[in-house]
Amino acid sequence: MKLKEINRTAIQSWSPSQQHPIYLATGTSAQQLDASFSTNACLEIFELDLADTSLDMKSCGTFSSSHRFHKLVWSPHGMDGAGHPNGVLIAGGENGDVILYDPAKIMAGDDDVIITQSDKHTGPVRALDVNPFQANLVASAGNESEIYIWDLNNFGSPMTPGPKTQPLEDISCVAWNRQVQHILASASPSGRASVWDLRKNDLIIKVSDHSNRMHCSGLAWNPEVATQLVLSSEDDRMPVIQMWDLRFATSPLKILENHTRGVLAMDWSLADPELLLSCGKDNRILCWNPNTAEVLYELPTSTQWCFDIKWCPRNPAVLSAAAFDGNIGIYSIMGGSSQAQNQRQADQITNSFGNMDPFGTGQALPPLQMPQAPCPAPPAMVNPLKKPPKWIRRPVGASFAFGGKLVTLDNAPSNPQQPAKHVVHVSQVVTETAFLERSDLLQATLSNGNFVDFCQEKIAAAQDGFERTVWSFLKVNFDSDVRGQYLDLLGYKKEELALKVLKKHLKFKMFVSGPVDLGLGEELDQELEEGEDVDLGDEEDFNLEEEEEEEILLQEVGCTNWCLYLDVDGLITQALLTGDFEGAVDLCILDNRMADSIILAIAGGSELLEKTQKKYFSKTHTKLTKLISAVVMKDWTDILTSCDLANWKEPLAAVMTYARPDEFSAFCDLLGGRLEVSQDAVLQAQASLCYICAGNVEKVVSCWTRAQAGYSPPLPPGTSSPSLDLVEKVVVLRRAVEQARRGGAAPTASSVLLEEMMGQYAGLLASQGSLATALAYLSGSTNQVGPARRPEVQPRGLAQGCWRSRCVIEINNLWRSVVVGPQNGWNDPPALNRAGTKKKGLENYTPPAPITAPIMGPPGSDPQAQPMSPVSLQGSMDPGQGAFQGPFSGRQQLPPSSGGHPAMPQTSVEGPPGAPTGDHIQPMQSIPAEKILKKPIPEEHVVLKTTFEGVIQKCLAVASDPQTKRKLDDASKRLEALYDKLREQSLSPAIVGGLHNIARSIESRAYTDGLNIHTHIVSSSNFSETSAFMPVLKVVLTQANKLGV
Amino acid sequence: TVMQVSVINTVDTSHEDMIHDAQMDYYGTRLATCSSDRTVKIFDVRNGGQILVADLRGHEGPVWQVAWAHPMYGNILASCSYDRKVIVWKEENGSWDKMYEYTGHESSMNSVCWGPYDFGLILACGSSDGAISLLTFTGEQQWDVKKISNAHTIGCNAVSWAPAVVPGSLVDQPSGQKPNYVKRFVSGGCDNLVKLWKEEDGQWKEDQKLEAHSDWVRDVGWAPSIGLPTSTIASCSQDGRVFIWTCEDPTGNTWTPKLLHKFVDVVWHVSWSITGNILAVSGGDNKVTLWKESMDGQWACISDVSKGQGAVSSITDTQQSEQ
Repeated sequence: MKLKEINRTAIQSWSPSQQHPIYLATGTSAQQLDASFSTNACLEIFELDLADTSLDMKSCGTFSSSHRFHKLVWSPHGMDGAGHPNGVLIAGGENGDVILYDPAKIMAGDDDVIITQSDKHTGPVRALDVNPFQANLVASAGNESEIYIWDLNNFGSPMTPGPKTQPLEDISCVAWNRQVQHILASASPSGRASVWDLRKNDLIIKVSDHSNRMHCSGLAWNPEVATQLVLSSEDDRMPVIQMWDLRFATSPLKILENHTRGVLAMDWSLADPELLLSCGKDNRILCWNPNTAEVLYELPTSTQWCFDIKWCPRNPAVLSAAAFDGNIGIYSIMGGSSQAQNQRQADQITNSFGNMDPFGTGQALPPLQMPQAPCPAPPAMVNPLKKPPKWIRRPVGASFAFGGKLVTLDNAPSNPQQPAKHVVHVSQVVTETAFLERSDLLQATLSNGNFVDFCQEKIAAAQDGFERTVWSFLKVNFDSDVRGQYLDLLGYKKEELALKVLKKHLKFKMFVSGPVDLGLGEELDQELEEGEDVDLGDEEDFNLEEEEEEEILLQEVGCTNWCLYLDVDGLITQALLTGDFEGAVDLCILDNRMADSIILAIAGGSELLEKTQKKYFSKTHTKLTKLISAVVMKDWTDILTSCDLANWKEPLAAVMTYARPDEFSAFCDLLGGRLEVSQDAVLQAQASLCYICAGNVEKVVSCWTRAQAGYSPPLPPGTSSPSLDLVEKVVVLRRAVEQARRGGAAPTASSVLLEEMMGQYAGLLASQGSLATALAYLSGSTNQVGPARRPEVQPRGLAQGCWRSRCVIEINNLWRSVVVGPQNGWNDPPALNRAGTKKKGLENYTPPAPITAPIMGPPGSDPQAQPMSPVSLQGSMDPGQGAFQGPFSGRQQLPPSSGGHPAMPQTSVEGPPGAPTGDHIQPMQSIPAEKILKKPIPEEHVVLKTTFEGVIQKCLAVASDPQTKRKLDDASKRLEALYDKLREQSLSPAIVGGLHNIARSIESRAYTDGLNIHTHIVSSSNFSETSAFMPVLKVVLTQANKLGV
Repeated sequence: TVMQVSVINTVDTSHEDMIHDAQMDYYGTRLATCSSDRTVKIFDVRNGGQILVADLRGHEGPVWQVAWAHPMYGNILASCSYDRKVIVWKEENGSWDKMYEYTGHESSMNSVCWGPYDFGLILACGSSDGAISLLTFTGEQQWDVKKISNAHTIGCNAVSWAPAVVPGSLVDQPSGQKPNYVKRFVSGGCDNLVKLWKEEDGQWKEDQKLEAHSDWVRDVGWAPSIGLPTSTIASCSQDGRVFIWTCEDPTGNTWTPKLLHKFVDVVWHVSWSITGNILAVSGGDNKVTLWKESMDGQWACISDVSKGQGAVSSITDTQQSEQ
């Protein structure tokens, strides 16, 4: 395929392979004159810009020269250093000059483009070649057996490769060996080739077949085999290319015969040694495999001789050919459309008239038809190269696959002696090793149930106090006395309090009624008298240190305003909080709070009441009304809603102590809710502790997620997105809740947030190849997809496990895209439904089905998993649609996982590898079982139904063979699917519009138009949206057209 | 990052010539390979096994690439070859047969890639004749063909679809509006260009032209979406460079290249992990390296892979910073 064209009669040289962009230098060719007989010459540089689709080459610079050129070569010399950024262009002139040009300067438009020149040659310089190993070495050759080696760094004194050959003759070609840098070959029209060794400074071998008919026009070394070269002959009597091997230099190794007249030039591809170009006086350009002497390709080219041909060093598929008709063509060896090129040419011609109406006739020119080329016309379809070029044969490749697998090609032989073994390695890529270890530990804990140890380890390893507290709270869930332990953690130790009460009691006694012998011994009495804190001795572990520890703990918890310890109110509160009525009453009495003491005593039982009443007359009353009333009235809502949040632990502790089990959670939630909306970030964080107490997994997750979001905004790709920290906590809490509530009480609602988190976690696990674990989480997650879940179309015979875990990723991928409206029904609905729920917000939120077994439930055990949409029901009723039954039956086939624990991989359920899968592409055509409760078709679309049914009836009336009739009957039924969609108004306006267009074309009996519109709709619409009826409609249109109704 | 790459299965394909591509199916249970020996083979590789399921003969030249369709359409495999043909193979009742043969190009078919399943069965094919075809299954053995002529002068080497998810749709989508499911794909070719294509009103149009490579673009890979508002494309070239192109602009107009690395040799192939966070780069001399983006946005080589086995990366930090 022709890429570019330059209208010059010129010799050419491509820029070296290092050069980007690619340039082509042209120099006016010697020994050719056009009708003007002008002997002016110029050197031009063009850029090959393949992004520009026109045939023009962009000219980058021109230099007028006094001589014409025989040969042009481009050396990368100086490109790496500062010297010559675009290398050096070396020209062989007709008057014997070797001239060095700086192409950078030519392109910059400078005047001093000639670096240097030499007229050492006595005749025209016909041959030049740059050493492939040392870009500063250039060989030149001309008349009288002259060969010079020029060093561009020391241009003044060229060397000779050895003594001149005798008899003196013209030399037409020189070429450096491609493997051994000091070997040079030269060839002459006389048919002889000479090989020189520059180290020996001598001729080492002469190559000639002694036929005297070889007139060497070209010479090229084999790029790979150092001892092989080819020679071409321009003699019409012997239009051949000879391949020689210097190891057997008595006769040619191969003779490449196909040209019918003399060969004028050759070039051997460096990118693929099996490609050799040649052009000849028979107007042909051939591409050979010189090793087999086979012609691989013939360029569909010009009508004229090509006298020069060159592979582009940088772009291996590109070549240039200079022809005597004054054109240089740039071609691709890979074939391609020449038709487009012709059109381009036509456009160019048309464009050159400026506009489409050059004569102002008011009529645009008709599009120009290119006349057929007069030559043996290039066939419309050009066969490509018979053999794929080496450069398109991809030898390597590693591709990722599902589950963190990497598939790697291995074409290399395992040892050089053996033939290549073509194997494929499947590897497991694990990037998150630490993640997997932790995940494994969590899984192990889930299966062995040893949560206390797990939490304990977490507490020990916790980096900060809050983390430790959270884990302590979580651990409590697995203790026997849950509430007591919570109280403990909040800083209310029943036993210690009892002692404090006692201590206070003693102090008061001393203070109010003087020293009393309490029988505790003299030492103690002494201390009491001194008014100091009481040390009750070793057996009673009660001292200041203990208190300090508590303080520390509470400070860690984050509460700063905690000062209940030393005053009476505090003690009473503590006593009340821990249910120590008697102590509280005593304290009240001591503090002259009689009313309090009595009221308390009432709550404390008849015995206490009696006791208190006795003391009532000698004492007075005090405050604390609120707490007391709450305790007495058993109404905690007031306190919880009005308490000072800074002291949030008090109400929480109160609730711990007093609340009935059925209201406990709600109270904790209430307090948590207040904390969560508070302004103080510290308090917000504490909310999660309330939620842990409440066992409210959902709230805990949202709380923690928000806290996390504070320091980790949307994660970039490549990070492990779901926090394993969070997952661990949630999993443990869920298990705790599950254990606590086994028996069916207060189920926990699952949520979007939770599911998303679990889904992400599973996705990450799956990506690391941990499919079984991922599946366990997924099964917990996808059971909750909501009421309108559609079936997954699932090929039978494939591993359920893989399928589902793969889904996770799909789900997550789709997760954030808001998918509204009808979808294909494969796999996306989970995202669709959940995303929809999310959008609508809480007011429309329909709580999903409860999780009775948060993540441990066996997949498929949840009845929520299989709601069927009407469409799918119809689909599965159609006997031809067996595939749709797959997902349901598949799901139910899942065995109830034994013990229900999540570590059980589901992947063991696999069908046979080659099991039939059914035809999944068949659209969901449906024959409705019943037509009850159908909405009417909107009025504006009724015409569609009448038209389609009308034409079917017309067809039926005309159709003669029963098969057609059956088809039409079937179509009529199947179109119900379309009418249903019209009723639901679920089709996109574009499709409905298209349908109306089809209807109109049916009305006007233009069925072919209808079919075109049909194709357009199908190709431009969502497959799933139209698949149920469009094929049917096509049948109708085709039949109508055939029957000509 | 501690990184482990370990061979779990080595499949001796018994191909008689160079393998050019190997792709696992959606589930990672089957492996399709293709070779210069003109055949396509399918192996069941579950549980570390290698059972030859099918030996597909139909191409008359080296087969360059294979691509699995999404399983919702059945078990379907596309292959493309130097013989200018694209063949779609389908398993029916346990046996694999030609479902469709496409011969609409004038030169080697270099790349095939199935579009996201949301768009139905749609296959993009790139050819050495410079054109790209889009084949859409319209049902009843019918395929609709759309052709982009002159997509890449001298040839298209690779095609890769954009995920159907519009990046960042969660962020910016007005509520209730149907998502903007535009069909898009990326291609790379012998004109050194990476081009993005977009379907508008049923017509394929050039959307973007990304210039950074100085030689043939050998492969392109559009990263799977993980729901973030960034689109990412990897491109690799004969010039040894691998670029990561990203677009954070919701209109998709501003793409920024970042040089992942300049290798000494040609880079033939890039492949994203399913979660889009690791890039496998296959270069000349059978060198495979795995790359990961760090939190600060720098790409680092996390492993060398030789014969499927991971090794500590030989690409040092200084090499990485070399541009």
